[in-house]
Amino acid sequence: MSNAIDQTRRMLSLVTYLRERPGAEVAEVARAFGITERELIADLNVLPMCGTSFRGGDLLDIDTDGERIWWHNVDDVAQPLRLAADEATALLVAARAVAGLPGLRARDREALTRAVAKIENAAGESAEGSARVGVTFEAEGQVFADIDRALSEGRLIWLRYYSHGRGGMTEREVDPIRLVTEGHTYLEGWCRTSEDRRLFRLDRVAEVKLLDEPARPPRLEPRDLSQGLVNPGADDPEVVVEVGPAGRWVAEYYTHDLAEELPDGGLRITLRSSDPSGLRTLALRLGRDGRIVSPAPLAEEAREAALAALAGYQGGTAPR
Amino acid sequence: MAIAKAERLMNLALCLMNTKRPLSKRELRESIEAYREAWQHGSEDAFNRMFERDKDDLRELGLVIDVDENTSDGEIGYLARADRNRLPEIALDAEEAAALSLAAKVWHQARLSGAASGALQKLRAAGVPFTEDGADGRTALEPRIPAREAAFEPLLLAARDRRPVSFEYRKSGSAAVEARSVEPWALECWRGHWYLAGWDRDRSAVRVFRLSRITGKVRSRSGAFAAPIPEHVDVRAYVATFAGEGATASATVRVRRGAGFPLRTKALATRQIDADWDELEIPYGHGLGADLAEFGPDLVVLAPDDLRADVIDRLRAVAGLAAQAPEGATR
Repeated sequence: MSNAIDQTRRMLSLVTYLRERPGAEVAEVARAFGITERELIADLNVLPMCGTSFRGGDLLDIDTDGERIWWHNVDDVAQPLRLAADEATALLVAARAVAGLPGLRARDREALTRAVAKIENAAGESAEGSARVGVTFEAEGQVFADIDRALSEGRLIWLRYYSHGRGGMTEREVDPIRLVTEGHTYLEGWCRTSEDRRLFRLDRVAEVKLLDEPARPPRLEPRDLSQGLVNPGADDPEVVVEVGPAGRWVAEYYTHDLAEELPDGGLRITLRSSDPSGLRTLALRLGRDGRIVSPAPLAEEAREAALAALAGYQGGTAPR
Repeated sequence: MAIAKAERLMNLALCLMNTKRPLSKRELRESIEAYREAWQHGSEDAFNRMFERDKDDLRELGLVIDVDENTSDGEIGYLARADRNRLPEIALDAEEAAALSLAAKVWHQARLSGAASGALQKLRAAGVPFTEDGADGRTALEPRIPAREAAFEPLLLAARDRRPVSFEYRKSGSAAVEARSVEPWALECWRGHWYLAGWDRDRSAVRVFRLSRITGKVRSRSGAFAAPIPEHVDVRAYVATFAGEGATASATVRVRRGAGFPLRTKALATRQIDADWDELEIPYGHGLGADLAEFGPDLVVLAPDDLRADVIDRLRAVAGLAAQAPEGATR
């Protein structure tokens, strides 16, 4: 259904576009509209069945030889159409969110800010609803700007990075691939230290240096991010966590395979992690609200960490 | 074979845009083949339903369709006036266009990504100079706005049309589900999660809901609500309070050197104690106890006492020890 809507929307713009460009090239029009040539040809097959006038036979005479497109009875009806409320919302909310990203180049921010003002103006009352939707992207401005520069100059970087799972700092050499923002901002890069593709959250970068060596990330298939940025692999070890009602947030924050209801209102959550020992911090955070069921060594690690932590409250560091 | 919906919608749009006088339903039925088929092979009702849906769909696409009396037969007629449907002049330069087309790619939600590319197509058709290259000198960034929560789209539409909604909601830390009835005001995405702010009709108060805790279907009621919506709804500030930000008190903790980086970045003061330990003063907001327990043996809470007791209690639970009476009571 939504395909028919998107196609109608596109065809309405297409007639306006074609009106100004007799003999337009199929390849170029497809690129301009962000669709495949096949989708464009499908649109061009529908358009001659559509009429511009009431009472009779006056159909759009648009045809193509597969390379170029001609419209033989160009009509006045093809004027540029006003933006719909959803269209204005989608553009304005996105543009405002990106413009608010700390570390964005000033030129980009200024261009976006000007564009927002012009779109608001052109959209008129369609723009009103955009105030009802807001998106905040977070990034550490200086780190962002440094990595952005490394990407544009194609340079290897050195990071001092906080490993959340292990709780300590690590030093790594990384070939930057791209910056990705989804709530938080991440650097996707090839970590030479671990010889693997990694995501680094910018608020966990303590220090970044641009090295003189050129970046040479191996050729990799772009990752599919549709299910979220942090996505466990199919072969990653399985971890089972049981939480009480107050620990149900775990199912909201961790991508999981299974969340089964427990009689007390809690959940039994099965998830996978490339680095299960990183989940030790989850066990410590949960306290009385949940526990790691398996693997057993991980549960034991958490127990030992808690005992070691408690020792700190008995000895020399008494409260003031 | 039935005529494709896109072809039917396109015909309706072109008929309505090209007429100088309102066209009655009967006239439209006679000039659009798909309608004639629906009417001949289906029923008057089938045609009427189809026509109403199509009209709504075109309005969703931004077409302003006026309803007026048809002068020839006195019936109700429809038309999309050129002056009300034209995009006003918009002069975006190449740089603005490029920045906008990067931003338009952020939506990873079917409805809004369709709307964003539709908007770009309209602008492009109106002559805005989008170029394919020109990535040089731009921020190398891929911003993404996800909306995986099923409640997102119905709430987006309800907020837009000011329709009251009802849904089942599970509060944080609770297993029980409650029915809520809300006038939706605003949606906000923060740290990758969507929140709804609105007027809770049963509680007669402003409430913020996290979309991932809405279970089951969002039902929107017919008829717009009339109560005014505040000019500015600060969903973020509300949520941030629960995330422990905007703290008014502070706590003192001892952190092993080299550990606790996230605490160090927000520390109000840091003092070296010895070769192994630093003492940090940090903001004390909602949920700090859980945050601190995460650091395990790398951290000791010194003050205040309630926070110290909270962290000890959490650690005892993980260590498999029984809960302890509050520390102060044992001394």
